[in-house]
Amino acid sequence: MPLIKIFFPVRIYLICGRMEIIMNIDIKHIAKLSRLKIEDEKLDKFEKNMKSIVDMVDKLPEINDSLSLLDPTEPMTLRSDIAVTNKFKREDLLKNAPEVQAGCLVVPKTVE
Amino acid sequence: MRLYEKTASELSEMLNNKECSAEELCKDVLDRINETENKVGAYVSVSYESALENAEKIDTARQRGEKLHPLAGIPIGIKDNISTKGIRTTCSSKMLENYVPPFNATVINKINNAGMTILGKMNMDEFAMGSSTETSYMHLTRNPHNTDCVPGGSSGGSAAAVAAGEAIVTLGSDTGGSIRQPAALCGVVGLKPTYGSVSRYGLIAFASSLDQIGPMGKSVRDVAMLQSVICGHDKYDATSKVMEYPDYASNLKENAKGLKIGIPKEYFGSGIDDEVKDSVMKAIKELELNGAEIKEITLPSTEYAINTYYIIASAEASSNLARFDGVKYGYRAENYSGLTDMYEKTRSEGFGDEVKRRIMLGTFVLSSGYFDAYYKKAKRIQNRISSEFSSAFEECDIIATPTVPASAFKIGVNINDPVKMYYNDVCTVTANIAGLPAISLPCGMDSKNMPMGLQLIGNKFAEQTLLNSAYTYEKICGGFDALSKAL
Amino acid sequence: MKDYEIVVGLEVHAELNTESKIFCDCKNAFGLEVNTQVCPVCMGMPGTLPTLNEKVVEYAIKMGHALNCNINRICKQDRKNYFYPDLPKAYQISQADVPLCENGKLEFMVDREIKTVGITRIHIEEDAGKLLHDDSFAGSLVDMNRCGVPLIEIVSEPDIRSSAEAKAYLETIKSILQYIGISDCKMQEGSIRCDVNVSVREKGTAEFGTRSEMKNVNSFSAAVRGIEYEAKRQIELIEAGEKVIQETRRWDDAKGMSFSMRSKEDAQDYRYFPEPDLLTIVVDEEKISEIKNSIPELPNAKIKRYVTDFKLTQIDATLIAEDMEKSALFDACNALNICKPKNISNWILADISKFVNETGKNISETKLTPELLCAIIEKIEKNVISNSAGKTVFMEIIENGGNIDEIIEKRGLAQNSDTDFIENLVKEVFANNEKSINDYKNGKTNALGYLVGQCMKASKGKANPGIVKETVTKMLEAE
Repeated sequence: MPLIKIFFPVRIYLICGRMEIIMNIDIKHIAKLSRLKIEDEKLDKFEKNMKSIVDMVDKLPEINDSLSLLDPTEPMTLRSDIAVTNKFKREDLLKNAPEVQAGCLVVPKTVE
Repeated sequence: MRLYEKTASELSEMLNNKECSAEELCKDVLDRINETENKVGAYVSVSYESALENAEKIDTARQRGEKLHPLAGIPIGIKDNISTKGIRTTCSSKMLENYVPPFNATVINKINNAGMTILGKMNMDEFAMGSSTETSYMHLTRNPHNTDCVPGGSSGGSAAAVAAGEAIVTLGSDTGGSIRQPAALCGVVGLKPTYGSVSRYGLIAFASSLDQIGPMGKSVRDVAMLQSVICGHDKYDATSKVMEYPDYASNLKENAKGLKIGIPKEYFGSGIDDEVKDSVMKAIKELELNGAEIKEITLPSTEYAINTYYIIASAEASSNLARFDGVKYGYRAENYSGLTDMYEKTRSEGFGDEVKRRIMLGTFVLSSGYFDAYYKKAKRIQNRISSEFSSAFEECDIIATPTVPASAFKIGVNINDPVKMYYNDVCTVTANIAGLPAISLPCGMDSKNMPMGLQLIGNKFAEQTLLNSAYTYEKICGGFDALSKAL
Repeated sequence: MKDYEIVVGLEVHAELNTESKIFCDCKNAFGLEVNTQVCPVCMGMPGTLPTLNEKVVEYAIKMGHALNCNINRICKQDRKNYFYPDLPKAYQISQADVPLCENGKLEFMVDREIKTVGITRIHIEEDAGKLLHDDSFAGSLVDMNRCGVPLIEIVSEPDIRSSAEAKAYLETIKSILQYIGISDCKMQEGSIRCDVNVSVREKGTAEFGTRSEMKNVNSFSAAVRGIEYEAKRQIELIEAGEKVIQETRRWDDAKGMSFSMRSKEDAQDYRYFPEPDLLTIVVDEEKISEIKNSIPELPNAKIKRYVTDFKLTQIDATLIAEDMEKSALFDACNALNICKPKNISNWILADISKFVNETGKNISETKLTPELLCAIIEKIEKNVISNSAGKTVFMEIIENGGNIDEIIEKRGLAQNSDTDFIENLVKEVFANNEKSINDYKNGKTNALGYLVGQCMKASKGKANPGIVKETVTKMLEAE
């Protein structure tokens, strides 16, 4: 693995006194959640890449700032309840669909 | 001098004065494309017919004495992640190789209303994920200054086209530096506007809270003119801002006297090439000689910016790209058994490795048990970065940094090292994280005769100040001479 | 066997009857030709963005007030990520940790008792499309018309203790949704759906048992059947020494059974995070008050009031309360304080309902007013006219309006309650009907009715039938 050129001072690791490394990212589980299949030959390389990326993102320090995921200083302007009809034709909207039948999209049999 | 060598503002005057026609201009640029594309590869698709049609239409309108927008008839390239009705919009991905949107992005409607001539769609890193345009499924784009080098990314095609004369101006998109970095590596001007000032409706999303469409061109005035066309509140984009958007180009003026320029030490560390540091400092000194005040500032959370960026961007991307499932549009695998298999095969075959990596990372940081540790932590740092900039802007009008640590690297050297590739963005991601406007300007060639970039960052919605500062620097340079001499 | 208690929580999804969808301006309508009420936004085309419909927020807050909730005037939307063909974006825009409304309660009557159920939350979200299957077809078909139809999800606390309570809860929710005009609640069109959470525990235990969630409950009576089946199933498991698994099950009403839906390993990880394409929702305090003031007294509150204050039966109270015009009339009449509530309710439920059903007219379209109705009832209560004379007056009034006294006078409807007059009348009839008197003495009790009828006939219907009957009875006994 080539030497990674760290562009910012390395001191942070010494101050924090730790470097968290996720040893076991469940690649298979993450792939399943993402509906991705990683071929067996590529799995090893992928796992290494993922680990080094996770190492990188894992270097965030612990901070105790309060966090609100709400921002009332920038409130959203809501849309008026007015319907607009006949903007698009069905055939135009389904033009890019891989498979269409009877005006519907076709997917493999999906029963609950 | 050929028409493609001129700036949009020069051509606008020429068209107005009937010194040339829109058709002549369009033909000249299309000729240039034919001459250069095999070396540069900036385009995914060129729309010869519709471009000429528009040019003719504009000429007819002008002959009739109709009042036209200053940019009417100016040829423009559009990054291929911006939806163009009836024109393939691929995001340089196999997943959307044959996708034709049934609607225009809002910015395209604005471009059309201004009468600009859309030349075609520009090559990019797949789904805007990358810093070199090497992850494009279509083909490589090469740097017009040295075709062994990358043009940067993800708006590599947009930047290269301007530098090669294959478009007068282009639109790119910027999520972590994707306009500014290629602009720097190709020696052109590229602006990432304030988040919320340009509608994202129709921009195929990468990271919703960071993406912005922005203008690229050979001069500050060109970029300012194009910015005025594309900016504005859009009721179809809830994140777009309602406010008075000035006519940036008309109000362009030099502002060096009393301009307070902040220099953050964190952007001049050991990771930045000495030549880049020197040329950026030289540029800043020039501004100082013209009356600007330099202030040394500190933005301490800068060192966490890349990590923060990758957490937030990947998280949003993993969700935004989930819609590519082979059901409604785009690629669908040919052989599969059952729904889950169809999803997995479609997405695995349709996406390249970098996209898959980012989706996996995003899924991981959002997954149960990790949300607090990654996503929330990143949000906290984001708030810190934003407030550090706010404080800085109480003392400064603009902030100056290098755009990229080094000039363009050779094609192929970084593609197998994602982390090394990510560190290309160190100077640019903070503007996206804080939602600030930032512009890259050519500030000289290095010893390899490759362009370097000066980045100026402005306060939220203070594009006029930012563009004025850029304009001032451009004036000091005597113009940018942005076209590559190598082609 | 031990004594078990059923614990039920209900999640109701109701489609709101706004003009446009929640995140785009497509028409919000049911039953249209497949994929004709869609646009790039609700289809999840690349590059599209959601814009939130203000009516959806308003309607959700209205329901929040109706269910006594706290309104979170500052809130947000979140993405719920999962893959399914009826979900175009592969995420549903919903609300996770900060719903629009929280911590409410609903009071309603069950078996003449007042039951209170806590409301955990109400939040807004978008509906998904429809999957269509056919045995003859190898795949499944997706219709996206329903994508983006606005939904509110109402989650109750697990306070329900029987299937009867569950049904009453659901019916009350439905009546409120219709009353405040935010949903048409057509279960057959799927505009109201519910998921049922059931667990059991030994009576007296503080802890909750493991619960199962049941989907595909398509009617309120199916909910009753589902709850009873599921409770029984769980009790049988526990009695057999086994554990109840926390899982999602599918209710099959035709088979009368529930089936486990967990076909594989793990539960869904929805990876909720704040929707980055939308900003924070902030609702003005003024707007919240305005919405609150626009809510009329709700049917469940009315039912409680009618039973408690006016001593109506729960059935009568419900029938009146659920109809806005009938309850308005009932309340207006009672406010006049002229006649008995019971009589007013009888008139509304019998004669007035009959008229409304037969003519198709609303009460408000007739000439009947609370004053007029009460005047008629008062005359009857005071024995000025008989019940049947009252009906005659009523039919005249409801069509033509007018003055009660004048009508009584004109039609000669006044009844005679003079006891002397009636005694003489009865004596006369007795004189002419010895046979009947003898019949009665010999055990034929219906002779009484006959004699009363003769008296009424002789008086041309004017005699007060009650007093006649009393007098006839008295005089028969004296014979």
